[in-house]
Amino acid sequence: MALLTVERLVKTFGDVRAVDGVGFQVDEGRCIALLGPNGAGKTTTIRMLTGLLRPTSGEIRMEGVAPGQDYRGWIGYLPQSPAFYGWMTGREYLIHAGRLCGLSAKEAARRSSELLERVGIGAAGKRRIAGYSGGMKQRLGLAQALIHRPKLLVLDEPVSALDPIGRREVMSLLGELKAETTVLFSTHVLHDAEELCDDVLIMRSGRIAVGGPLERIREQDRKPVLTLETEGDAGSRSWLEGWLRRLPDGIEASSRTASGVRLAARDLDAARSAVLRELAEADVRVAKLEIGQTTLEDLFMKAVGNP
Amino acid sequence: MRTWLVLFRKEWLELLRSYRLIWLPISFLVLGVSQPITAYFLPDILASSGGLPEDVVRSIPLPNASEVMAGSLQQFGTIGLLLLALSSMGAVSNERASGTAAMILVKPVSYLSFITAKWASILAISWLSFAAGYVASWYYTVTLFGSVGGPSVIAGLLYFGLWLSFVGTLALLFSSLLSSPAAAAFGSLALAALLQVAASSLPFEQPWNPGRLSQLAAGGLDAALSDGGSAWLTVAVTATAIAAALYLAARSLQGHSRS
Repeated sequence: MALLTVERLVKTFGDVRAVDGVGFQVDEGRCIALLGPNGAGKTTTIRMLTGLLRPTSGEIRMEGVAPGQDYRGWIGYLPQSPAFYGWMTGREYLIHAGRLCGLSAKEAARRSSELLERVGIGAAGKRRIAGYSGGMKQRLGLAQALIHRPKLLVLDEPVSALDPIGRREVMSLLGELKAETTVLFSTHVLHDAEELCDDVLIMRSGRIAVGGPLERIREQDRKPVLTLETEGDAGSRSWLEGWLRRLPDGIEASSRTASGVRLAARDLDAARSAVLRELAEADVRVAKLEIGQTTLEDLFMKAVGNP
Repeated sequence: MRTWLVLFRKEWLELLRSYRLIWLPISFLVLGVSQPITAYFLPDILASSGGLPEDVVRSIPLPNASEVMAGSLQQFGTIGLLLLALSSMGAVSNERASGTAAMILVKPVSYLSFITAKWASILAISWLSFAAGYVASWYYTVTLFGSVGGPSVIAGLLYFGLWLSFVGTLALLFSSLLSSPAAAAFGSLALAALLQVAASSLPFEQPWNPGRLSQLAAGGLDAALSDGGSAWLTVAVTATAIAAALYLAARSLQGHSRS
């Protein structure tokens, strides 16, 4: 069931076509990641979805809402760098946001206390926002996006401004949230997308280069990959040098560093046993050997990298 | 309507927390009080400064009560107007630059409510400050110079209050059209001054010109300043201009929302 349908969305700023014919569907209950390098049009697309920016052309439809009708009440939005009234307290801001979404004073107060606890800034609720750290603002931003139980949660780069600990915490919070509501978030951190989402949309210069369920996209482009890292001592290096020159059939080096190599294989099982035998015979000091499939990063580089 | 009240409450709280609700009325009080007091003591001040011969000082006539009240209005019309324009110049542009406007406008809030809640708070602070200063000025004038006619004082309050509201609305409009608060303050004050100069110095009658409002207020108090024209068209045009400015400001929010 498509909660949100976007068709042929275009936005031009002067001569620049920032978004150029984007179309996709967001199914209810899914978690969608919008990926792409900087300047690909992710934020512009998101701002059009939230109604902050009027599309030059194209259509955005929300399930259960007549075309042209205001659907902002169904969406919760967290911008890239959320801004608040510094003179309000965190709790006051949440109540303000809740009441603007149509909650009664009592309900808004109850939701605010609940969400402050949930995003982990319960103790700071009574302090002025001007004194909040970046991570706390991000959490408050998440809380204000959730205050009215939106059907669709739209997050623009929710974790890119956070330190590793804050990132970890917000990610696990998002992991919980995606069980409750539909989530669309943009990011350029592929690892985050891989960890959370069901579907991906990879954007490149205003268009969608690749899109669909993560599983299917991976399946389509699945190739066995071996990553070998040695400790980088002289013996291992010279062995690596020699071995790469006489690689068995069906294996080829796709990229290499001074101490390691990334190999693409035709037959994974054959390649695995060949490599393991070789490593044991030559007594190489292996630091890491990873045998698996192409990752989202390989896919991303392929979709975005070469024009 | 309920969302409008929530927005207005926020504006009011901001006025309070930024102390504008305190320093603006106090500034107007000082302006209003200083005019009758300096007018009253002017001969003494001149005599003690010793620059003028005594008979010249004695021959300076003490102004009458209406002239003093009209003088206070002039103070409100210059320094008071500047203070109000400065306090509301960033009403929209600051919120847009910092991104707080975007956080509010993704909620189911109409652009017009967002603008009119700000407008109502500007009007509230303007009327409050002006009324405080005007009543204080009236009190000192009556005490020091004798009574002034009640109806003309009230008419003065209403006309001048409308003039302040008009300029406050202009500041709000410019603040949503221009990204720089200083440009918004300058734009609204310059336009107000232009209208005022046109109303007082062009050789034909301009019953439609909102710039006449301050003249109307002063003219009711001091007949020498009156231009004798009728007021209703001025008031009607001003009210229409305010409504149009609010509509334009709300429209520009939508167009400008790329940040």
